[in-house]
Amino acid sequence: MTRHIPSICAGVALLLLWEIAHRSFGLSGLPGPVSAFRALPELLSDGDALYDIAQSLQRMAAGYLLAAVFGISFGLLMGTSPLAERLLNPLIMMIYPIPKAALMPILMIWLGIGDASKILVIFLGSSLPIIYHAWQGGRSVSQIVVWSAAAMGMGPVQRLFRIVLPAALPEIFIGLRTGLILALITMVVSEIVARSNGIGNLLFNSMDMALYDRMFAAIIIIAAMGYVLDLIFEAIRTRFLRWSDSGEHIQVAVG
Amino acid sequence: MIAIEHLSKRFKTAAGKDHLALSDINLELKSGEFVSIIGPSGCGKSTLLYMIGGFIPASEGRILIDGKPVAGPGPDRGPVFQEFALFAWKTVLQNIAYGLRLQGKSKAEAEARARVLLKMVGLERFANFYPKELSGGMKQRVAIARTLAYDPQTLLMDEPFGALDAHTRTHLQRDLLQIWEEHRKTVLFVTHSVEEAVYLSDRVIVMAAGPGRIDRIIPIELDRPRQRSELMFDRRYQEYITQIEGMIDAFETEAA
Repeated sequence: MTRHIPSICAGVALLLLWEIAHRSFGLSGLPGPVSAFRALPELLSDGDALYDIAQSLQRMAAGYLLAAVFGISFGLLMGTSPLAERLLNPLIMMIYPIPKAALMPILMIWLGIGDASKILVIFLGSSLPIIYHAWQGGRSVSQIVVWSAAAMGMGPVQRLFRIVLPAALPEIFIGLRTGLILALITMVVSEIVARSNGIGNLLFNSMDMALYDRMFAAIIIIAAMGYVLDLIFEAIRTRFLRWSDSGEHIQVAVG
Repeated sequence: MIAIEHLSKRFKTAAGKDHLALSDINLELKSGEFVSIIGPSGCGKSTLLYMIGGFIPASEGRILIDGKPVAGPGPDRGPVFQEFALFAWKTVLQNIAYGLRLQGKSKAEAEARARVLLKMVGLERFANFYPKELSGGMKQRVAIARTLAYDPQTLLMDEPFGALDAHTRTHLQRDLLQIWEEHRKTVLFVTHSVEEAVYLSDRVIVMAAGPGRIDRIIPIELDRPRQRSELMFDRRYQEYITQIEGMIDAFETEAA
């Protein structure tokens, strides 16, 4: 319990600052935390809002899982094949700094404003850190560990899946976590740009109608989604990495 | 029997130049023989071991095992590395059983054999530990057991005790000799320690650097089984050590 005290303090401090800002500026666009939290149950009992949240989560899951499968395979290929590394490294470095959500208008022209363009942009937004960390993880796998498996009679393809993949897993999970947060961000932004449904749409519709309480309630929901997803992620990660020194916790920088 | 014929290895250096790491190595290892390789750093002794293991290809020449040329790694040659190279995501027992599982043995059968080996290296209480929870000496015991598990004819040991403290090293040397007396596998043992080489081996191969080559092969004619405490006072033991130390010192003054 004592280890939760700092995070509880931080949460309370944030709410206090919010309340102080609300009182001192007196803007209608900045409701206090009390009214925002009051709007929450109403929002969560609204069938349309729940549908929006479900749609968002579905697209995010689709884009993120695609990014995970593709990113890990691609990254490990780069990490184990010098040829693939030389070919793809410049490409990755060029694509990395492009803000993927900024591609949304083009994707909308190509694929419409439906699920396809949004899933694609979530995929693009989250796959690069996953590729990058899988690549670094694959590179750092000790040669002699791979040789030890080869001496037992294990072939090259099996070695990739049964030796390189698990050995690179601690590093891969760092990429997956950064990717998860980026998937959430890209998901919200994609729905703001191409509004049809989803939590981003809910947020901006509320703003358009000057329902600021509701808007802030939507922001609270997005924050809570991030928090819960991260908790689930950490539980999965520690389960997979019990054997590793990095099993305790990881820090992620989202740039 | 392992026969090495006119074996050479060239590397491309970072500057793009050709570097001759090993030049015209010729060597025969009899079955059940314990042979150590010693020499200054850069003499290519580990490279030679990796080529016999089939992990890196030769540039010229060939290696024959019972008449058949080495084309890659295989379970007839089991490596043991200085840095242990355990599968960190597997428990101690799973590590040892791994090679047997690959050979198609059932889980129960592989684990039963793994437990026998674990007992032999004195770690039966640690079956369900992960490698990160073990000390260096324990990790190397697991690595040796893991390699012995799939029963290779030859052990290729690359400075296996180099990263361990003096006390643990002495222990493991004694245990290795005991295991070898029992199973009589062919052992090729790369080391930096002259004393270790003389204590363990039937023959000590002294290599020189620039390019890496065999300088001399010294048969160690000491009785077996050997007791370290008795050897300490053995005149011949001391002479072997002095002789080889002298040769390596000479190489190093030459190089300096």
